[in-house]
Amino acid sequence: MELKPATPNERRQYYREEWDVKNVPDFIRNTLIQREFGFDHIGRGPNDRYRVFRNSDDLRKFMRVRTPFAAYSSVAFYNNPKRRGGWLKAELVFDVDAKDIPIRSCGCDNVCEICLNQAKDIVMGLLDTLQGDLGLKNINVVYSGRGYHIRVLDDAVMAMDSDVRSQIVKYLVGADVPRSEYSSHGMKYNLEHFTIPFGYPQVFTHRVKQALLNLTLDTEIDDVSKDIKKAVIKHRELLYDDQWGIFRKAIGPVRYARLVKGIASLNLTLVDAKVSIDLKRILRLPSSLHSGVSMKSTLIKNLETFDPFQNAVPKFVYERDDK
Amino acid sequence: MVSISFLNPLSPEGKDIVRELGSFDGISQDIPELRRLVTRNPSQEIVADEEIPSNYLELALKRIEWYVKKKNDREFNSRRYSFLSDQDITKYDVISFYLLCQSIGVKFGPNSRETRVMVEAQGDLVQERLGKLSLQEGRLMVDQSLQLLLKGDTVHWTFFQELLSTRKIRLTELVLDQGELVLNQEDFIDRFGSRIKHRNPSSMYQLLIGDELKELLMVKMIMQETEDYIKQVHEKARIMVEPNPILLELAEEVAKILAEPMQSYGYGSGRGGSGPMKAGPLNSQAFPPCVKKALEGIKSGGRNDAIVLFMTPFVSYARLYPDVFRMNLSKRVSDQDPQLEITEKEILPLIYEAAQRCVPPLFEDQPQEKVNINAKLGFGMHSELKMEHEGETTWYTPMSCEKIKLHLPHLCRPDDVCKKIGNPLSYYNRMLWEVRTLKKADDSGSTTASAENSSEGVGDDNDSPGKDGTTPDKPGEA
Repeated sequence: MELKPATPNERRQYYREEWDVKNVPDFIRNTLIQREFGFDHIGRGPNDRYRVFRNSDDLRKFMRVRTPFAAYSSVAFYNNPKRRGGWLKAELVFDVDAKDIPIRSCGCDNVCEICLNQAKDIVMGLLDTLQGDLGLKNINVVYSGRGYHIRVLDDAVMAMDSDVRSQIVKYLVGADVPRSEYSSHGMKYNLEHFTIPFGYPQVFTHRVKQALLNLTLDTEIDDVSKDIKKAVIKHRELLYDDQWGIFRKAIGPVRYARLVKGIASLNLTLVDAKVSIDLKRILRLPSSLHSGVSMKSTLIKNLETFDPFQNAVPKFVYERDDK
Repeated sequence: MVSISFLNPLSPEGKDIVRELGSFDGISQDIPELRRLVTRNPSQEIVADEEIPSNYLELALKRIEWYVKKKNDREFNSRRYSFLSDQDITKYDVISFYLLCQSIGVKFGPNSRETRVMVEAQGDLVQERLGKLSLQEGRLMVDQSLQLLLKGDTVHWTFFQELLSTRKIRLTELVLDQGELVLNQEDFIDRFGSRIKHRNPSSMYQLLIGDELKELLMVKMIMQETEDYIKQVHEKARIMVEPNPILLELAEEVAKILAEPMQSYGYGSGRGGSGPMKAGPLNSQAFPPCVKKALEGIKSGGRNDAIVLFMTPFVSYARLYPDVFRMNLSKRVSDQDPQLEITEKEILPLIYEAAQRCVPPLFEDQPQEKVNINAKLGFGMHSELKMEHEGETTWYTPMSCEKIKLHLPHLCRPDDVCKKIGNPLSYYNRMLWEVRTLKKADDSGSTTASAENSSEGVGDDNDSPGKDGTTPDKPGEA
């Protein structure tokens, strides 16, 4: 399926015939009056901001009449959303854009089935950590049109500032190499991250594995030569059954250290950190149309079975002549 | 048995000690008992009689002096401060702790350098004191303190929000499971024992959590409590009556001690032994890659952050106060540029030019960003730089590399020098220094190869950026 922009007519058709305000997820509809809305009417970025809707009927009318190119709502809750005043709290958000995955195996220009699947794998990993390690609840996953948004509405984190959020991002994506030297009673011991089956070292191991399995010779990693990449590709099947020790030996311990350090810094771009630390961001409104690729931003009920090409394609795409 | 308040004066026990004291009356009176304790201490070295603290106020100042000398004085002799680790002074120590926090809170407020020093000194002191205890006793103290601090058996990591926000601890340092912090051994083995293969779970526990993580948490929490207490005092003082003059006097003395390192030891003489980086004309060749890239202009999306948050602090500090991190002293723009001439004629034009090169030019659609630039220089939210507004906001220090990677990843294209530093400003200082050493070498060598790359803007007084070159971020950093 080709991902191409929607025409103004198609937009109109979508909002008048297919879209229903009831498709806007509850977690947004129930907090409508505390959120700021933003719109892009001509496809050059959201410049119609500071909008507020008193109820979902107002939102419904607006969408039907204006049929925007793109619609957004704030992750923040305000006392006075019209002026972005009286900030109360904000969802904790992770944006995984298929186009920006640091190690993409597909090599496409925009997004395609392969990288969207890869994005989904990343999201699953992040969800595991959010729920398992960090014990967070009330998490929504939304297909954004070009990737995924994880939106956490757990009260434990909604009031947190950017600094804490940036620490969460780093933990989640595996952006720091865990230390390998530990000491006890004056003795020094070496423990590589992959020998520690819990906590942050385990998260890091998962992320590194994901990266190594997708790595190609063209992947640029700081300080990592082509030789190292060749060695990784040659030996990486060892990782299928987690034979890390042997893998590390095959790469060479010094080169291995350089490799994981490079991947750690690459991991920082698994999610768009700017989105996660921004407390006043607006984010694509689930149920609205991503007109750039003609797909519906969609709240996902079951991530395992979700397929954007089945579940997020608006009707008008099937009616296109050139299909 | 050591008292908890010897480590944490803010514990209930410590609070009782203060309550017993009652009032400030007689706070500056001689305490023979304290003098006796100090002189009696077998490891104590006393050079002059004046060195013996003889009342609460003097003891308070000794606490700060100890920290400042330890950090800066190459000839620091810890035996002259042995009494600080003597548990018998607990009662006096607790009072002096409160006096310090109150005077700093009243006079300087929570965001001051004095607060930072007080908080760090407290952290160091706790560690120093723990180190003097036996392993057994130390463990017991840490466990007891943590129990008081954590208020319960299971703690969700969000409890450490403040410590995380101020980067006193990192989330990745904590061992978490289902959101809960795993601290004690039984809990650890319960949760992870079955996953651990080929290793003894209890020795794994010792390595990963053991004493080290607990101690770290305890120290950082005490530091945070100290900081919170100072803040609390500051807020109360703002709405309440005149502060006690004793507190204000003590605050003056604290400030004097903090000013001392610069006079007596030279900046940073404790580490590396190099002279200060003096302010001087900018040398664009010494700019790190991220700054060079930002100067070329940024595409829509990252413009505001790049120009306002990143370039403004960098350019202003590089030009006026390149040594900010090593001196560990907050200043205002006007301390370095009293007429604001350099700021108006050199710094702002450079920032504005970079803004103009953005696509689309930043000020064309967002003229209000000029006000934000002024705010980042410390001049409040005003459209013009006026002396009377200075101090309404703080002069932002340059973002660390770590922050740049998060906020402006497209700017970060590290070269070899980048690997050795943690802040673009350190890169700049280091390069200035390298350019200068190069020039020196060239000058003393052959006369034919004159150093063309070092002609620009390096004053003769510039010196090495220090052997470590990596500048730690200041806690209050933007």
